[in-house]
Amino acid sequence: MGNTDVKELIIYVALIFLIAPTFLLVYILVHNRRKKRHIEEKALMQLTFDAEITKTQLEVQEQTMQTIGADLHDNIGQLLSLTSLTLNSIELDGDKKARKKIDAAIDLTMRSIKEMRLLGKLLQGDQLVGMGLDEAIKYEINWIEKSGKYKVNYTNDGEMPAASSPDKDLILFRILQEVLNNIIKHAQATVISIKLEYQDSVLRLQVNDNGIGFNHDDLQPGQTGMGLLNIQKRAGIIGGEATITSNPNEGTTISIFTPYP
Amino acid sequence: MLRYFTINTVSELICFIIALVCLSTDKGHIWRVFIIFLFITCLTEFLGIYFKLRYLADIKHNAPNIWLYNVLLIFQAAFFSLMFYHLLTKYINSKIIIISGFLLIMIFYIFEIIRHGIYLYNELTNTLMLVLVVIGSFYYFYLLLKDKDYINLKISASFWWAVGLLFFYFITTGCNIFYEKLHHVVVSPKHYLTYYIYAGSNIILYGFWVYAIICRRWEIQMLRN
Repeated sequence: MGNTDVKELIIYVALIFLIAPTFLLVYILVHNRRKKRHIEEKALMQLTFDAEITKTQLEVQEQTMQTIGADLHDNIGQLLSLTSLTLNSIELDGDKKARKKIDAAIDLTMRSIKEMRLLGKLLQGDQLVGMGLDEAIKYEINWIEKSGKYKVNYTNDGEMPAASSPDKDLILFRILQEVLNNIIKHAQATVISIKLEYQDSVLRLQVNDNGIGFNHDDLQPGQTGMGLLNIQKRAGIIGGEATITSNPNEGTTISIFTPYP
Repeated sequence: MLRYFTINTVSELICFIIALVCLSTDKGHIWRVFIIFLFITCLTEFLGIYFKLRYLADIKHNAPNIWLYNVLLIFQAAFFSLMFYHLLTKYINSKIIIISGFLLIMIFYIFEIIRHGIYLYNELTNTLMLVLVVIGSFYYFYLLLKDKDYINLKISASFWWAVGLLFFYFITTGCNIFYEKLHHVVVSPKHYLTYYIYAGSNIILYGFWVYAIICRRWEIQMLRN
């Protein structure tokens, strides 16, 4: 066997038995990188899909609340007003007992009308935030304080920009309502602090309570469901972020940051 | 003394020392067995040189060192079976396949020992093991590609361990097939071409294994963090 033959043989051996596994290795690595990209794209699509679903749910929810709010104002409100008028128009001569009862009924009806108007306004969020987020928050606080169970401190730091964003205002307002609902349902708090702060084109809404708090790690997947997850999803829709800090017996602080307007 | 330090022994020794440093605290049993396997390999290589020198000094009264490499074959078969069980079990129930492969190697081993004794190398057993390792590696890569979950292969210890073995056995297969023609080629006054091919394949194998050990170390640190 000549030297040239051996050299050729060595080249063939090297080609087949060294390049083949190298090719296989490169193929696996390239395929793996593609797999990573595919998984990332899938996750992104899932995220976008989830955001769309949440947005649609919010829109439907908002629409439903608008309808209920409008119905309360237009229909039930009218009926209650009519009841009040009817009761006022009753003329009783000398029957003090009946007069007393009718006055009580008129008083109850008037209070119902007042409560219903307040509730109707809260449900019709877009009308409320039309007055500005600050006013809407004050309105909500007024509603909460009426129960007499909570002391609510509210501060508004930093001047809000002249141009507002009604969509963001509405979602922030709904987040606030969700947070306050959570406090009422679970926190056993007595003092609630709300802080609205605007700085460097970032709006920060912070809600803090002195309730029982919770350990975030101890929450079961289902427990985070409607409350905390919704807050984070809604904040995500307006390009913001929600951070939740809580410890057992140390209350809870929820902060929402969003670029504004 | 210097005669004990060849390309093979040095690369094996480096790999063993790195494994000892990086994997001695590893909680994964298979990686601790890997240290023992590397120790046995190093021991076999050094003893192999010792017996070879003794044999060359007195051919009449001493036996060649081949019996030692026949013993090493058992450890290789056992450890590779364990390692492939560890690799494949993430994806499939590989117990039957692994046990069948190991038993087949052992049947060939016993058959060869009965046929020609311990002083001739069990070539058939080695070739069978080589084929099974290559098939096992291919199957592992196939399962890896098919898996829906992403694994960062750049730092996957198991993956680089299998790659090293595949490269080694691919080159060894090539060399074995063309051995008749290659072993006549003299490259340097001391060694034939095949010596350098085997040495090169050893460097590749232990190079990949050293990287696999380092990856394993990273994995442990990441798990701890």
